[in-house]
Order: sequence, then C-alpha cells, then structure tokens
Amino acid sequence: MNSFNTGIDHETLVCARCGYCQAVCPVYAALGWESTGPRGRIAIARQAARGAPLSLDHERRVYQCTLCGHCREVCPTRIDTCDLWLDLRGHLAAKGSIARWQLRVVRDNLLAQRNITGDVPENRLLWQQNLETEIPGLNLQPNTRVVYFVGCVAGLYPQTQGIPQALSQILAQAQISFTTLGSAEECCGFPLLGMGLEDIAADLARRKVARVKEIGASVLVAACPSCYHTWRDVYPHLLGEPHGLQIKHASEFLADLLTEQRLNPQPQETRVTYHDPCDLGRNSGIYDPPRQVLNAIPGLELVEMAEHREHALCCGGGGNMEVVDPDLVAAIARRRLAQALETGASFLVTPCQQCKRTLANAARAERTRLKVFDLNEFVWRTL
Amino acid sequence: MQLIEETRMSQIAPPRFPKLAASLGERYTESDFERAFYRRDLASVPRVLEAMLARTTPHAVARPQNAEEVAALVQYAHAHHIPITPRAAATTVYWNSVPTRGGIVVDLNALRGVVSIDEEHLTATVQSATRWSELETALNRRGYATLSYPSSAPSATIGGWVNMEGHGIGSLKYGALTQQLQRLEIVLPNGEIFQATPESNPLLSWFVRAEGTLGIVTEIELAIRAKPEAIGNHWLAFSDVTALQRALVALATATPTPYSIHFSDAAHLRLLRDAGFETCQVFRNLTGLEPDTPQFQVLVTFDGSAQQVAAGAQTLKEVVARCAGETLDASLANLEWMERFASLRLKRAGPTLLGAEAWLPLNKLADYAADLARLTGAQRVPIATYGAVVTPTMTTVMSVFPSDESRTINYILDLSLTKKIYDVAFRHGGRPYGIGFWNAPYLHRAFASRELAERIARKRQLDPLNIMNPDKAYKPAFLLSPIFFDLGMDTLALARRAWSANR
Repeated sequence: MNSFNTGIDHETLVCARCGYCQAVCPVYAALGWESTGPRGRIAIARQAARGAPLSLDHERRVYQCTLCGHCREVCPTRIDTCDLWLDLRGHLAAKGSIARWQLRVVRDNLLAQRNITGDVPENRLLWQQNLETEIPGLNLQPNTRVVYFVGCVAGLYPQTQGIPQALSQILAQAQISFTTLGSAEECCGFPLLGMGLEDIAADLARRKVARVKEIGASVLVAACPSCYHTWRDVYPHLLGEPHGLQIKHASEFLADLLTEQRLNPQPQETRVTYHDPCDLGRNSGIYDPPRQVLNAIPGLELVEMAEHREHALCCGGGGNMEVVDPDLVAAIARRRLAQALETGASFLVTPCQQCKRTLANAARAERTRLKVFDLNEFVWRTL
Repeated sequence: MQLIEETRMSQIAPPRFPKLAASLGERYTESDFERAFYRRDLASVPRVLEAMLARTTPHAVARPQNAEEVAALVQYAHAHHIPITPRAAATTVYWNSVPTRGGIVVDLNALRGVVSIDEEHLTATVQSATRWSELETALNRRGYATLSYPSSAPSATIGGWVNMEGHGIGSLKYGALTQQLQRLEIVLPNGEIFQATPESNPLLSWFVRAEGTLGIVTEIELAIRAKPEAIGNHWLAFSDVTALQRALVALATATPTPYSIHFSDAAHLRLLRDAGFETCQVFRNLTGLEPDTPQFQVLVTFDGSAQQVAAGAQTLKEVVARCAGETLDASLANLEWMERFASLRLKRAGPTLLGAEAWLPLNKLADYAADLARLTGAQRVPIATYGAVVTPTMTTVMSVFPSDESRTINYILDLSLTKKIYDVAFRHGGRPYGIGFWNAPYLHRAFASRELAERIARKRQLDPLNIMNPDKAYKPAFLLSPIFFDLGMDTLALARRAWSANR
C-alpha cells in the first residue's frame, strides 16, 4: 500500500481528522487527551505549517510519540505519518527545540562520542569480555563478507549485552565468517533522525558505509530493528544513492541458518509469545522470519497475542520517547505486557533490544513471572 | 516529564468549575492548550464563519470513566446551567460534538470496551465509546459478529452511531441499528442514570438519532449474530444510471438479501485516479477501461452460509443479465471490500472535500444523478457520488467535490454548493443524513412538521434548561435561519457560477 508525504503544509490539509489513527495510537491510549493522538499532532503540524508559534506544550506532544507507524497503517488518506512526524521534529529542531529537552543530552553524546550514552568508544567492546568461547576476527577483520552491526543499546547497556554475546556465538557455531566494527562502530543515526537532525545523521551514514566497505563486506546484519530499518531504508535516501550492501535483520539471518540446518536447536517444551517490534514489523515489513525461527525450535508452542503483526501494540520504547517521557514509556509497556500475559505464555520473545528492555522493565514492575528474552538470546539457550 | 527548561506556568487562576476539577483530578482541564483541540470535528469551517456563529472552544474538558462520573458531572452542569457537549470520536461533519456555547466538553473516550457477550441470547454489552471495529474483532474471536456497522467503523463509536442515523454496512440485511438495540444506559440532562428499553418510559427510540441532545449514552446492549461462514464479493459495472437504478432496486429486494450494496460513479473513480491511488490503476488494468469512461460500479456482498453465498451469486447473475450490467474481476471486488472503510481516501484529491450526504428513495437515484449532472455542468465542478443501499427502498448518497480550505474566498464560494446538492436531493424526495448544527437550516425539509414538533417536545420534556448539546438538531442558529441561509448560499452559488464561467 503506498503512502504519501507531500510536505507538512499539504498533508495536514489532506488529513480528514477521521480519528482512525487515534483509535490505535499507544500514546493516546495512555494519556487520553485529544492533543496526545496523531489527530492532535496533525493539528499542531498545521499550526507549524502556518508559521504559528508553538509552545512547550505543543513540543511535548510532538515528542510524545514512539514513531510506531500504527497511525500510518490505518490512515485512509494514506498519509505517511511517520515521515510527517520526522518532518515536524525537523521543524522544531530548526527552531532550537532540542535544547529545551533532555534530547539535548543524547544529541551531544552523539556529536561527542558517536553513541547515545556518551561512553568512550572502547566501551563498545565490553560485551566481548565474557564470551563463552573466543571468536577469532571479531573486530574489524578485513576481507570478511558479513559485518554484524551491534548498535548502541545492545553494545553499551548491561541489560542487553547478552544480545551481541548470543548472536555472535550463534554465528560462530554456524561457522559464519563475520566481524564487527568493534570500537570503531558508531551510532546508526536513528536517534538523530528521530530528533529531526537529518544532516548530522547523513554524515554518520556516509562514515559508516565507507567503514563497512573498507572491510570488504557485502552483507550487514543488524539485530536492532531500528539500525536495520535505518541501514536498509533510510541510508539510500540520506546518501542520495544505493549503498550496495545487503542488509539483513538477525531474525532473517537466523531463519536462513535454520533452513540450511546449520543450527540444531534442542527441544523446548514451553509456550512462547512473540512481540513484533515496530521498526521491524510495521516500519520494515518483517513479520515471518522471527516466527519461522521460533517455530523451528522443537516442542515450542508459539501463541500470538490478541494484536500482532501489522496490528501489534507498541512497547513504548521508540522515537526517543524514553528520553523525553519515561513514565509514558512504562505506561505503554504495561498495556503490551498485559496482552502477553493473556496468552498464558512463559516467555515473551522479541527480536529487539529496546522492546526487551521496556517489556522486561514492565514485567519486573508488575511482578509477573513472564520471562522476557531477545530472540537471539532465546535461540542461543536452545543450542 | 523531564523538561530541562521548565517554563510552563502553573495555573494561577482558580478553576472555573472547582468541584469538577477536584473530583476528576487529572482527567479534567481548563488549560488553553488542551481546550483548543476540542473545537473541531471533520468539517473545515473558515475561522471567520466559526467566530460569527458560535463559541466553539469549551471552557473545560472532562474525561469521566464511568456512568457515575458522567452523572455527577451532568448534575453539576444542570445545577449551574452549564452547556454540555458529549464527544467521543467526533467523526461527523455537522458539529454534533463541537460546542457552540463553550461550556464543558464531556470526552467519553475512557468509556471504551466490551463489557460482556451473552452467547445464549446473542447480545453484547459495550461501553459507549467502544469503536465498531473493536467490537467486531472481539466478537469474531469468539465466533460472533455485529449485524451492521458504519463505514467509519475503525473510529466511529457505538454510542455515536446510536445518536446518528445508524445505517451502514449490513443494514440492508439486518435493518437499522435501532432495531438491534436492546438497552441503553443513558445519563439524562438532569443527571439521572436511566435504563432505556423498547418498553421504558421514555422509550429507547427517543434517544436514537437524538444527536446527543437528550442525554449521554454510557452503555449499550445490542443484538449480535454468529460469524458468517462465508462471504462473497462481486464487482459490477453499468453503463448508465438507469440500468444502475434498475439493478439496485432488484438487488435490494432479492432473495437472498445482500449484506451490503455499495455503488459509485465514474467521477469517483477519476478523483481516485487524480489522488494517485492504486485502486484506479488496478481497475484500469483489469478491465481495460479508462476511468473517464462513464460508468457506475457496484460492490455487492453476500454473507452467511456457503449455500446462501452461492445462491446470492446466482441471483446476482440474473440481475446483471436483466439490467445489462457487466461482472468484473472478483479480485477487484475483494480489494474494494478491503477498502470499505477508506472512503475518505478521496480527500487526497482535495485537499479538502466538500459535499452533502442525503437519504434518498432508491427509485429516484437516476433522477438525482441526472439533476446533479446539470449542477456539475453549471458550476464546472467534478462532483463524485457514491452511496450504499441501506433498506429495500432507500439509499444513502454522498456527493462530494474537491476544494481547498486554505484558499478562503474560493472555499466559502464552494461551500454554497453543498446547499445546491441538498436542493437536488430535496427535489427527488431526499433529506440530509444527519442534522447537527450545520444542517439545521434544512430542518423543516428534513422532517414532517408533526415529527419535528414531537422531537422538540421530547427535548423540552427531558432538557428544559437546554444544557445538553444545545443548538443542534432542533432549531437553526439565528444566522442559519432558512431565510438568511437560503439567500446567502444561493447568492454565493450564483457568484461562484459566474466566477467559474469566467475563469
């Protein structure tokens, strides 16, 4: 289905104010005011298009959005709302808005250390310190066909460092020759795009594509859905040309390895439910490969949540919202967690480090027994 | 909220309605920022016109969570003579849920969810702001389905449809929503929580199509059905409107009764093409027809058992043969069925769409279309028409044309054509489909005198203070009284015609 973005001025006129978007918006479901849904945000965008000044209240509503894309899926006038929200954030950025919000810290970290946390680059290697087996050529190995792009969250947050550990060991066990960018890896630029800072993101994109090509790689694997989406769909736009790399999400790569019988998962007599990350599902169209991976595990019963695939509820962790409104993230995650609990599953599996963090935090806060795993971590336990 | 530069001013002035502020807490606001988002529905009304006619920004917005909170709020408003505007999805264009005198907007969206499904008696009980698509999904999961739903089901609420006309997809087979309702829980304008049934006093039927003027619906019990075993979609084409009308009349009374009949004209297809939609491309590829070819398309849907659906296909075949129609590719029919909630996609051809939705005798459709074609020629405007056959003898028709609200003068001139379209409908036995604020000038043409008098008497009985959604459905605003309205709109239409002729 084609979507349109002809610019803020025209798209905000095209909006029919039908409210289809509001009915599915996770932020609106949590906050409830008309201003908090996409229809309200379009009204704000209309004001911006007309050159009217926007207050801090307006800015807050613009940033209170996970960029989950559910509104785009249901829009009858086919407005590419995610694109529109980014344009609107770009408009705010040009007016100096970022400095008024905690977003400034992330932006400054990205400018200083080229990662979201402000860690020194060497910290990107911390996850490699306690691998069960040594993996040769793990960092910047020349003439390697496959580069595994770790991403800032998985590489630098202790809560999610099990993900690169799991995936790298899976790849090694499947005898895939791969390398990472090691301490030279830089943020994919997705958080900058989410702030409307496309120019800075474009600079990062150029640097990274050059780095991967220096290695001689032709395939880039990302376990982070946002990195994957950015590399696959946004970089060609930022660069103004195709980058020539084949971009694969880890779930696609694992599905291929399982099909080729290069991995041999052991039986797991358990019930699992699967959460579709917005940047992998709605924003990239990848729904089946992660399910194929789970279904390839003998004995595993995969139970879908009431709303899944295109209709999946957001976990709340996207769109830089964790920086702007962590309480809202938690409220949205609780709603998704409730759907997971309704399935009676013992495990909630998702192929995204951010979804894992938000949902695991919600599970802990709600004192549930549901165990939240990243897909790579879950698969690694079965090998 | 982590705001580095905290500049938001705390509210200095005491709340206008302190009791509500205290009882509803964070679900109540008098903030300038929040209130501004509640002054619109789907209609695009030029600011100058809006300012002349009404005070559309409420003084406060409240978001009650249950009938008791709604009742307490209404009791307060009743005691203090404060106007109330109930609002849920706000998906009409007549200002049914837009304030006209400020007051309190009661945002009902927290009253959302399926309360229970009674499998023995085939009924469902829902909170009033439950979306139709949510109910349908919940029912489908348990092997049931709604009888009918509006073409805006993804956002339209069940309470909203109770308050409007309640005809849509499925109405031809299962009747209007009125016939499906078992019970309404409604907060009356004095704050009493009332259970309305077909036997209650006042009757449940009083509150249907009342446009939120007789109370606030909080819970609804309605009939449901077993989920149909099969569905069959058919896409037909007719070369002229007379053949179309003959076919629609035959299908509307056929056995088995179709679940849904939706039709559209070539102008509709052209607007879709202009808007860049793939449907048009698919249509062209499948049929080899250029969208400019004068044609009418009909989507007919049968559902039920596999046998009923097969019987429907046979009936359809006979009607098509008898009325010189053509059956198009089934894949296109399925595509159109998937798009049944996307009629607003036409708006991309605008960016604004103007038009009129009328309730019309089915056997007058050809006359209506011919008359409308004359208007199209005179005003040089591409008017697209689509509609749904909703009873064996009546259809809804929506006739729309592209405009641009950002060009205010032209837009105001274009607004005059909505009256001209309604005039065409009136000439052929039609009436507006919904009144609200904007169609109030047509009240005496929409209702027989006796019926209107009865409606006004009900309003006076239940809401003597006129606090519940005032200025809707009973009497036009002074500047919209027929004498001013007709003169003003007809003058504008003449000016528009002269302007378009000289362009």
